[in-house]
Amino acid sequence: MNLLENKAIQIAIKNIKDKTRHWQYLVFSLGFGVMFTLLFYSFLGREIFQYSFPGMIIYITAAGTTSAAISFAGEKTSGMLERLDTMPTGRKNLFLGALLSETFMVSLQIIIMFILGYVVLQVPFKGIFELFIGFFIAVLFGISAVGIGIIISGIAKTPEIANAIALFYYLPILFLSGSLWPFESAIVFFTPPYWAKQVFLQITVLGDGLFDPLYSSSLFGPTGTAQQLPITLFGGLLIVIAFTLAFIILGIIIFQKKTKF
Amino acid sequence: MSVSKESIAIEIKDIKKHFKEVKAVDGVSLKIRKGELFSILGPNGAGKTTLVRMLTTILTPTAGDANVNGHSILTGKKEIVKKIGVCPQVITIYEVLKAEENVEFIAIMHGMTRKEAKEKTRKILEDFGIAGRKDWSKRFSGGMQRRLNLAMSLVFEPEILFLDEPTAGLDPQARRLVWDYIRDLKNRDITIILMTHDMVEADSLSDRIAFIDQGKIIAEGTPTELKEKYGSDNALEVSFLEQEDLEIVRDNIKNIPFVVNWNESSRKERNTLLISFQGGLKNLMKLLQQGFIDSIDEVENIKFRQNSLEDVFLNLTGKRLRD
Repeated sequence: MNLLENKAIQIAIKNIKDKTRHWQYLVFSLGFGVMFTLLFYSFLGREIFQYSFPGMIIYITAAGTTSAAISFAGEKTSGMLERLDTMPTGRKNLFLGALLSETFMVSLQIIIMFILGYVVLQVPFKGIFELFIGFFIAVLFGISAVGIGIIISGIAKTPEIANAIALFYYLPILFLSGSLWPFESAIVFFTPPYWAKQVFLQITVLGDGLFDPLYSSSLFGPTGTAQQLPITLFGGLLIVIAFTLAFIILGIIIFQKKTKF
Repeated sequence: MSVSKESIAIEIKDIKKHFKEVKAVDGVSLKIRKGELFSILGPNGAGKTTLVRMLTTILTPTAGDANVNGHSILTGKKEIVKKIGVCPQVITIYEVLKAEENVEFIAIMHGMTRKEAKEKTRKILEDFGIAGRKDWSKRFSGGMQRRLNLAMSLVFEPEILFLDEPTAGLDPQARRLVWDYIRDLKNRDITIILMTHDMVEADSLSDRIAFIDQGKIIAEGTPTELKEKYGSDNALEVSFLEQEDLEIVRDNIKNIPFVVNWNESSRKERNTLLISFQGGLKNLMKLLQQGFIDSIDEVENIKFRQNSLEDVFLNLTGKRLRD
């Protein structure tokens, strides 16, 4: 079978067309990260900004929550989900297609951020290999954000409500996780963005290996307050993977439960 | 009338759907033959959409079962959805996709190859008069969007088609186009289940009709059968220029056997006679001949009201279909 005849791929292509044909969506969603990067870069200066940039990327990637929540809630309220249910499409293809399209959008967002940060603004990084791993972590976290979006869309009655719930979730959680600026508190360990940001940061900025210890925040150095944790970067990565799987599975279960009668 | 199992497209067996205290569908049994155009008529909230949502496997019944194309809706969802097309009342299209992208997407969801999907899409868009449009479908007129909505449910040539108010909001010309297409589908032996409020549409297209009210089927039959059994008499309302003419006609019709009754009224200087009579157009011609043509020269106004499905529903339930 031709790859383009695969139902999940077709759903993904349709979703990408749906997102990219709205220039306002493109400008404001992809431009959001650019705006934050330029603001923080100009306030902090390059030396300090290199410690903030990984958190910024994770923060922007989390926008996948809103995007997925609105997208799924839209299918639900427009009647398209019901229409697709009367066809041999299968919910499996619907979820897979959505994951593919959201992953594409998240990757596009990360690539824009990488080009802006590491190429245009010359933010220091350890090496290309480390950046690849950073990219993988950011995409993984983006997928977990999509999972949360699917959970929200299952509960929300309209895309507008889904958008509001998504913002209600991810704005505070990104502050509490210490992604945008450092936050020394045990609360961070309960937030998924902390783990993604910290592993990304230590790999791309410090050049740490997967079996080096993880720190509590990005405030390194003699005057910093970051404390070494009894867990390695690999452990942190496993936690990111666990969150991703849990959110996707939970999202699918809740969405199915709320949309089957 | 007994029907062989092979000729049945849909068999509904005492199906029920209750939402807590609300009995949306309450023990419906029906047999719909292959190639038949079967209309389900009823007011809003009568249970017709719930019934169809069960038949299209969206809703699970509270009790009972139905066989669609030989498969139970409880256990055969995968097989059923391969053969049915559903055209929802609400226009359900991807607005930022072009017409051909919308239709092709649905074709591929039904397992067609891209080549097949492109070919079928081109053909159906031509049939519906929306070929060649290269802009997003959200820029289409309401009528064009509705035709696209219908094209999307037909591109994969379903064996059974569920149409929910397919002509709602269409202008008369577009409505005729859709009716012609539906008649064409009938000729191709596609079983069509039509839900509509439009009595003229149901009357002119349907082979058989079921009236549903409060979750139950209250009458079923061909349009003619239903009108004969439950309908009203035909009526002719005539306004005369002169009171004398009214009296002449009144005396003439007294002895016509198929005239049931008549009422006279004089309002706003208009002399009106309302004549109820049995039978069809043949009797109307006789009535005009015997009552009017040989006796008077002129009338001011004449109106003929034919026994309709609206009357059937009114007589069965005491309410109008749009109440």
